[in-house]
Amino acid sequence: MRLRVESDVNRLVEVREFVREAVSTFGGSDRVAEDLVQAVDEATCNVMLHGYGHQPGAIEIEAALRDRRIEIRLLDRTPSFDPTATPAKDISKPPVSKRPGGMGVGIHLLRTMTDEVRHHVRPDGGNELTLVRSIDGPAEED
Amino acid sequence: MAMTIDVEQVAGDPPVTVVALDGELDASNYESVIDVVRTAYADGSRGLVFDLSGLAFMASSGLFALHSAVRIMRGEVPPDPEGGWGALHEMTQDRDSASSNVCLAETQEAIARVLDRTGMTRLFAMHANRAEAVAALQGG
Repeated sequence: MRLRVESDVNRLVEVREFVREAVSTFGGSDRVAEDLVQAVDEATCNVMLHGYGHQPGAIEIEAALRDRRIEIRLLDRTPSFDPTATPAKDISKPPVSKRPGGMGVGIHLLRTMTDEVRHHVRPDGGNELTLVRSIDGPAEED
Repeated sequence: MAMTIDVEQVAGDPPVTVVALDGELDASNYESVIDVVRTAYADGSRGLVFDLSGLAFMASSGLFALHSAVRIMRGEVPPDPEGGWGALHEMTQDRDSASSNVCLAETQEAIARVLDRTGMTRLFAMHANRAEAVAALQGG
């Protein structure tokens, strides 16, 4: 399954709907959909606001089920940014400014709501970010 | 799903504004929430209840809006959205925010999970419904 959206935060609603539909098609639970919707929204928003900024650009989103794991792949043409390289958050403390200009809360959310996040720089320019979530259980214990 | 914002003024001491959010709160509409809170404060409200009974989704931009509301209702300058997304990180270490004049009512499970996972639960008193929240702000 595939969706292509222009960089515009008003398109995030379509991105979330695409993820819900994909998880439903793959047979995932509402809870799995909820987690992936949150993670993909944060990742896509990050690309729109920080990657493209006010410049036009497109984001391609692909969803696939492999070995009982849902993989959502985001492809963009923005300068390289690896969200997996940011330090983990300590939520025992209130969120505070540690990295002005950063997007740490969103990245923290997308990490906690997935089982794996992979980032690759595309050979022809841009980023490939893959969010992986098991279809069978929660990403973390409640 | 778009988001609608319904505003209700509740007379009393202090005057309280109830802001009901219905739909999905994301990067496309969080500034509307901040604008509503600014107007409520300018109109004299000194307590605010977010009725979240109809809110199905909240992105990190929504967390920013909620935190901005705390600051606005304290008479402080909120983080400037035009100052960059980094303003989201300007959530202060106010340990007493749970007793602030911003409450949440009927928070749905999915939203509560987002608040919990970002350590923001402690910033807001949570109530079962809007009447309870208003009563708490107006001293019982």
